[in-house]
Amino acid sequence: MTPTLLGRWQTRILLFQTVGLLVTLLFTEGVIGPGGGVFLWVLEYLFIFGLGWDVLYNYLQKFRWDRDWPGALQLAAGVWEAFFIVLVIGFFGLPGIFFLDLGWFLVHYSLVWLAIYIASQSLMRILFPRWRFRGGVWL
Amino acid sequence: MRSGTSQIRLSWQEPATGELREPLLTLPVALGRVLDQMPAQLQGQPVSRIVLDSGQLSRFHALLTLEQGNLTLTDQNSTNGTWINGVRQTRGILNSGDSFQIGPYRIGIVAAGARAAARTVRSSEESFIQLDEPNEPEQAPERATSNFPPACFRSQQVRVQDLYATGLPVEEIDYAGVGAGLGSFIWVDYLRNFGVSRQQIKVVGLELEPYAKYQRLCLNSQIPAHERLRSNSDSCPDNLWGWPSYALREAWHDFQKGSMASAWRYLWQVFAEPTLAETYTPRAGNVFASIDREAARIGWEQMYQYGRVQAIRKTNDGRYAIAYSRGRGDHAFLVTRYLHLATGYPVVKFLPDLQEYRERTNNFKSVVNAYEAHDHVYQQLERQGGTVVIRGRGIVASRIIQRLYEARRRNPNIALLHLMRSPKPQGNKFGTAQRTVENHFEFQPFNWPKACWGGELRVQLEQASPEQRRSLISDWGGTTTADRGDWKQIVQEGLNQGWYQINFGEVIRVEPDPQGRPTTYIREKGPKGEIKLDADFIIDATGLDGKVKSSPLLNDLVTHYNLPLNPLDRLAVTNHFEVAEMRNDRGRVYAAGAITFGGPYAAVDSFLGLQYSALWAVDSLAAARAPRLKSLKGWASYKQWLKWVRNQAP
Ligand SMILES: Cc1cc2nc3c(=O)[nH]c(=O)nc-3n(C[C@H](O)[C@H](O)[C@H](O)COP(=O)(O)OP(=O)(O)OC[C@H]3O[C@@H](n4cnc5c(N)ncnc54)[C@H](O)[C@@H]3O)c2cc1C
Repeated sequence: MTPTLLGRWQTRILLFQTVGLLVTLLFTEGVIGPGGGVFLWVLEYLFIFGLGWDVLYNYLQKFRWDRDWPGALQLAAGVWEAFFIVLVIGFFGLPGIFFLDLGWFLVHYSLVWLAIYIASQSLMRILFPRWRFRGGVWL
Repeated sequence: MRSGTSQIRLSWQEPATGELREPLLTLPVALGRVLDQMPAQLQGQPVSRIVLDSGQLSRFHALLTLEQGNLTLTDQNSTNGTWINGVRQTRGILNSGDSFQIGPYRIGIVAAGARAAARTVRSSEESFIQLDEPNEPEQAPERATSNFPPACFRSQQVRVQDLYATGLPVEEIDYAGVGAGLGSFIWVDYLRNFGVSRQQIKVVGLELEPYAKYQRLCLNSQIPAHERLRSNSDSCPDNLWGWPSYALREAWHDFQKGSMASAWRYLWQVFAEPTLAETYTPRAGNVFASIDREAARIGWEQMYQYGRVQAIRKTNDGRYAIAYSRGRGDHAFLVTRYLHLATGYPVVKFLPDLQEYRERTNNFKSVVNAYEAHDHVYQQLERQGGTVVIRGRGIVASRIIQRLYEARRRNPNIALLHLMRSPKPQGNKFGTAQRTVENHFEFQPFNWPKACWGGELRVQLEQASPEQRRSLISDWGGTTTADRGDWKQIVQEGLNQGWYQINFGEVIRVEPDPQGRPTTYIREKGPKGEIKLDADFIIDATGLDGKVKSSPLLNDLVTHYNLPLNPLDRLAVTNHFEVAEMRNDRGRVYAAGAITFGGPYAAVDSFLGLQYSALWAVDSLAAARAPRLKSLKGWASYKQWLKWVRNQAP
C-alpha cells in the first residue's frame, strides 16, 4: 500500500485505537510486565506525535520516484519515533508519565509496532477491500 | 545543412503513448508547453510552434533556427534544461542524426533540407499487425458474406422483439462481459464476491481460460511459466483483497518444502523493496494456477460463452443487445442490463520501416515482433550463431536480451546490436524526484510509479482535467524496464566482452542483403553519417497499441453513438469507468484495460489496475441498486475472504 497523508492519519487512528490499545491493555493490566496506566499514556503520546510525524513522512515520500513507503522505512520511522519519545520523556517529561522502565517500554513498544504492522498488512485489506486503492483511507 | 533549405523533420516518441511522431517543419521551430508563450513570428518569419505535454518543460523551452546555414538549438532559459546528444547545453549546432532531450521528450533530427521533404514516412498509426488469434471454428471469411448483424442494428435503439424476429437465439441476462480476458475475469470475480449469482452473468470471448491471450503474449515475449512477471506481490487477479500475496504464498510453499533461504528472501524482498532489496515479482506459472483455482470457485466456465462480438446497440427497454458469432455462420444475441467491455489490445505496434520490409520482401522470419511467436529465432541462433538487432528498450527488450544470453551459453557466436533512437542521459523528473538511468535503460519496478495504483499520484490524476492528465501521464510514463540485478549484469558483461553493443541513430531504411538478411541503414550522429548494421534477425520490442479505432467492434460503437474519446484517443470514461454516453435508462456500460488509458487512472492495463476499475465500477452499480449486488466491506468482506481461503463458492 502506498499511503497518502489522509490515509496515514486514518490508518493510524484506527490501528492505534484498536490493535494498539488491545496490546497496551495486556501491559496496563499486568498480563505482561509490571502493569500500570503509564503504558496507556505512552500509547496515546506516540499516537499524537505520530500524527505530526506523518506530515514529515509524507513530505519525504515526495523525494521518492515511486512515492511509496516500504516496510523498511516504516521500521526506520518506528525506531525514530521510539527514540524521540524516550528523549522527550527523559529530558522534559510528559504529563501523566512519572516513571518509565526503559526495558518494559521497549517490549511494549515493539509489540505495539509489530501488531500494527501485521494488522495493516493483512486485516486492513480483508476488512476494507478499498483501503489499499485509497492510500490508506478507510472511512 | 545548406542555407535556403529551411525544412527539418523531427522525430520523437510520445512519452504518454509511445507513438512515433515525425512532422516536417519549417524553421524556425519553437518548442514548449504553452502555445501563447512561444513567439508566432521571428524577424518577420512565421514560427512553427510545437506544444509538448509535460510539466518538466518550460512554457517556451527551446528554439531551433537556421544561423549561417547551421541548424542551431537554443535553450530559452528553461527550468529543467536542454540536453544535446546527452550533454546539457544552452546552445548547440545540430546535424542529421543528432538528438536532444527536453523533459521526457527525446527528439531526433531525422533529416534536414531537401532530403527532409523527400522522405516519405509511413505514420506509426498505420503500422501494426494483428495478434495471433486462437483457431476459430469458422471456415469461410463470413463477415464479408453474411448479413449479420441484422438491419435493425442500424438504428440508435434496437427493439428486443426485432431480435427475436430474426429467429436466431436470444438470451437475456443481468450482467454481461465482452472479452473474457483478464479484465472480464476480474470484473466477474468482483460481481460474484459482491453477491451476484452465476446465472445472472454471461461473458463472451474467444478463449475459455481468462489468461489465454495474456499467456500467449508472455510466451511469445519469452516469459515461460517459471520466469517472473513484472507485477506486484499483492496484485492478485485471483484474490480481490490481495492477501495472502504471491510472495507470502511462495514463501509458505518453499517453507513447507524446507527451502528456508528462499522463503526468507521473498519475505525480505516485500519488506524492503524497492530500496534495500530487488522488487519481488511472482512467477507466471503461479499466477495462472491461482487464476485456475479462482475460475473454478466462481463458476467461470458456466458463465463463459464462446463468441466474437460484432456489434453492440442500446435497446428500446433500457438495455443493450450484443450481436456475436459463434463460428461456422452461427450467430446469436445476448441482451443485458449492465455491460462491461474489456477487449484488451487490438493490435501490436510494428515499427514502420520493419513493417515495410516485411511487406516488400515477404520475409516474415528474419524481421519479427517480440509479441508474435518467434522461437525459430533462438533455435536458429543456438544452432548456427548469428547477429540480432533489437529495437526498443523496455521490459520486453530486457527479457529478450536475457533469452539471448541463455542462447549464448549454447552457442557463444551470438552477437546483439541494440539499436536505440537516442541516448538517454537522464531519467524523467517529477517534482522533487527523478527516475534512475543506467546504460541508457531507465528503471522503474513496474510500468508506472507505484503511487499511481493507490497513492498520491492516483488522487492527483483523478482530480486533473483531461488535458492535465495527458501531461501527467507523459511525466510518469515512458519506456522503462525493471531494475533487476541479473539483467543489469548481463548488459554490463555483454558491453565489457563486446558481444552486446548499443548503437544510436535514426533508421533510414532496412533492406535485404544478397543473402536475404536484413541490413539496417542508420544515420549516426556526428560526421560519420550513414552506417550499416548487418544482422540475421531484427526483433521489434517496441510495444502494443490500445487505440479504439484499431478494434472493429469499438470503432463501430464509437462511430454509431458518436462517443467521445479522451486526449489519447481511447474511450472516455468517468472516474467510475462508466462510458457515460452509453447510459440507457437503467442500463450502464463500463470499460476496463488498455482501451481506457488516458483517463482517470494511469495503470489501467495491469492486474491491480483491472481490479481498481472493476471495484469502482461494481461500487457504482451497487449504489444504483443493481440486482443482488451488495457493497462488500467489513464483516461481509471477511466472510467472503474466508470462503476464498476454504475454496468455497462465493
Ligand atoms: C507481455 C505482457 C506482460 C504483462 N505483464 C503484466 C504483469 O506482469 N503484471 C500486470 O499487472 N500486468 C501485466 N500486463 C498487462 C495486463 O495485465 C495484461 O495485458 C492483461 O491481459 C490485460 O487484460 P485485458 O482483459 O485488458 O486484455 P486481455 O487479457 O488481452 O483480454 C481481452 C480479450 O478480449 C478478446 N476480444 C477482443 N475483441 C473481442 C471481440 N470483438 N469479441 C470477443 N472477444 C474479443 C480477446 O480475444 C482477448 O481474449 C502484461 C501485458 C503483456 C502484453
